[in-house]
Amino acid sequence: MSHSNIFLKSGFINVPLKNGIGRYVGQLQRVVLKFCKNNGSSAGMREFIETELVNFAKSNPGVVVYVKPRRHKTAVIKAEYLNGDSQWLNCRNFTKEEIQKWLELLKRQQINHDGQRIRKLWHTDHPSIQGPWTPFTFRDPQLNLATFPDERLSKSDVIASTSQDELVEMFKKQKLKELQSAN
Amino acid sequence: MLKQSLFYLGRTVLQRHNNLFRITETRNIKRWVAPTLKELYRRKERQGPEPERPRSTYLEWNYNAELYAFGKRLGEDFKVDLLRQALTQKEYSLVNSPDDDNATQIPHNYELIREGEDIINNYLKQELSKSYPEDIVNSVLEYLTTEKMLSHIGTHIGLKDIILTTEFPVDPSTISNTFKSVVSALKHSQDLPRAEQFVRDFVLSQISDKDVLEIWEPQEPYNYLTKLVQEKGLGPVEPRLCSQSASNTILRCFQVGLYSDKKLLGIGWGENVNIAKESAALDALQKLWNTNKVLRY
Repeated sequence: MSHSNIFLKSGFINVPLKNGIGRYVGQLQRVVLKFCKNNGSSAGMREFIETELVNFAKSNPGVVVYVKPRRHKTAVIKAEYLNGDSQWLNCRNFTKEEIQKWLELLKRQQINHDGQRIRKLWHTDHPSIQGPWTPFTFRDPQLNLATFPDERLSKSDVIASTSQDELVEMFKKQKLKELQSAN
Repeated sequence: MLKQSLFYLGRTVLQRHNNLFRITETRNIKRWVAPTLKELYRRKERQGPEPERPRSTYLEWNYNAELYAFGKRLGEDFKVDLLRQALTQKEYSLVNSPDDDNATQIPHNYELIREGEDIINNYLKQELSKSYPEDIVNSVLEYLTTEKMLSHIGTHIGLKDIILTTEFPVDPSTISNTFKSVVSALKHSQDLPRAEQFVRDFVLSQISDKDVLEIWEPQEPYNYLTKLVQEKGLGPVEPRLCSQSASNTILRCFQVGLYSDKKLLGIGWGENVNIAKESAALDALQKLWNTNKVLRY
């Protein structure tokens, strides 16, 4: 993650209306290409409209394409999605190829992810298949056959000496000292 | 726009002056520009935010193109007249028809709504009955055909902007009704199986990642299970305590298994025996109906 992204709103990838489970519906519903008829910054957009736009519209019959000339304004693409999102893209001084590339992106994405940092490249609503843990999850199957009281199972796992053992040890040392001093 | 026109106005006035009095032009932004723009900005602020307008009032709007793209987007061939009728609300037709005469009245979707509703309900009932018992079918059907769900679907297939109605913003009930009428328009444009496939892809798929027990939840699962087992002719349900852990502490946990004819129906756990029994009953119901099974179509 670069520094330019740390203040972006974060989110997960998201598919509206379970798209693709029944059938796939392209989510871009309409796109408006705004440009100026004589300004140089719209040259690429004009070239795109002259040469590629008809092909684009033919190959994407589900997208309504509007062309809107405006005097002395920067070229802009405005994309509207089925979920109500709309994405505004400044195309000042873009070449024909750049506009083609951006339109392809706008066509393929599901919603407007502009200004959003995607946390992961995958997402699931059900991260756990196992369900919540209980004391009986992953229990040793040997326990099913054990008969209680069982000496091995009742044994403590703690290997360190008990306080009783330590007291006995201290008592023995004391006795030893007394014997030595008596001698 | 206004900003620029003001600019030009200033320039032309200056040019005229140039011709008359031969004043040399200076190359800077005129001193009146900033205060004027500031004043315009202030007035705009005073007006408050611009009210939201329906998409159809925008300059870039072609209703015929929108109708064409609507069908193509969903991969369906609609008859244009039928689709237009399905999108026309009764109120819109009453307001916009030239007179009350039936012959000239704009056709509206009032009858199509009822027909579409029948198609949706029948198809969903028929499909759900293949996997679930009646109780679940009814509640899932109710879940899928609520106004909220249908308007959600309708909005996301792009109905919101192209509905012909007098109201704005469009009411969820209108969108839900229009979705129904679109289904029936599809039936008349093509055939019933095509309309049913449409319902399957857009409505039925909405439960794809949902657990049925999230939608249908019995109040007393254990009683429900005992009744069901009786109806199925299995032996009586026998709950047994399978294991318990830390029973005298706040973290106690009990595991209860439900048996019938010495066969495990379901197993569940909880912080006391009763809760464990109920959750075991839910598990048993899931296993009896195979509701864990993912719906595949």
